[in-house]
Amino acid sequence: MSSLFYPRSAEAEAKTMQLRIDLHDDCFEPLHVLERWQAELRHGGIADSAAESLFIGRVRDTTTDGTPLEALELEYYPGMTEQQLERLALNCCNHHGVSHCLVQHRIGRVLPGEAIVLVAIGADRRGPAQRCCQELLEALKHDAPFWKREWRADGTGTWLTGNTPL
Amino acid sequence: MAGQSAGKIQILLFAGLREQAGWAEKQWAVAADPGAAVTPRGLWLHLQLPGELDQGVRVAINQQFADPDTPLQPGDELAFLPPISGG
Repeated sequence: MSSLFYPRSAEAEAKTMQLRIDLHDDCFEPLHVLERWQAELRHGGIADSAAESLFIGRVRDTTTDGTPLEALELEYYPGMTEQQLERLALNCCNHHGVSHCLVQHRIGRVLPGEAIVLVAIGADRRGPAQRCCQELLEALKHDAPFWKREWRADGTGTWLTGNTPL
Repeated sequence: MAGQSAGKIQILLFAGLREQAGWAEKQWAVAADPGAAVTPRGLWLHLQLPGELDQGVRVAINQQFADPDTPLQPGDELAFLPPISGG
């Protein structure tokens, strides 16, 4: 698992914001990760947010053409993907003025039902939290270098060339 | 990016584009073409990569999105990125 973690005051842009980004090469349980992160922050004297918004994306059990999905393969660009996630998160969080941002993303082979992405945003108000969560999710779907390949039971695979509709 | 890659541009392909082209990584010697600026678009055409550069394929130079007509420098890492599908 690779990780980007900005504790308080570590970066000028993240001075008042807690940001953590991880890429997981194995199955992760989103709510456990969120709970653990929040416990770490509390332990460091950082209070919970008044408003939280989170999105969990899981792998469907069918391909885009409706056949059963055996697995989803997620390729990424080591180095650029992490940097790009960080850029997108900082831009979006600064724009909305939120205080907490956790992004967790799978790489490698992901099975149907497994979590592929978690975006959790904490803010003082529900509006910024919800808007930032949605905007950051869309940004990473379109502007973070990940590529999905759908594998079928017959051993054939197809690279996807886009995202599912909003 | 010093050492072996100095004086060369490293070219990376990903996902479906890599499989269509049949290679993942190449080194391009800048000195081989001293008369003109080397750009991602020029390399795309020279290498006869599949598809259209402006139809979904994006360019990254040194791990940042860039314009396909940006002049490349020795030591640059150039990546051609097929349509992204994250999240």
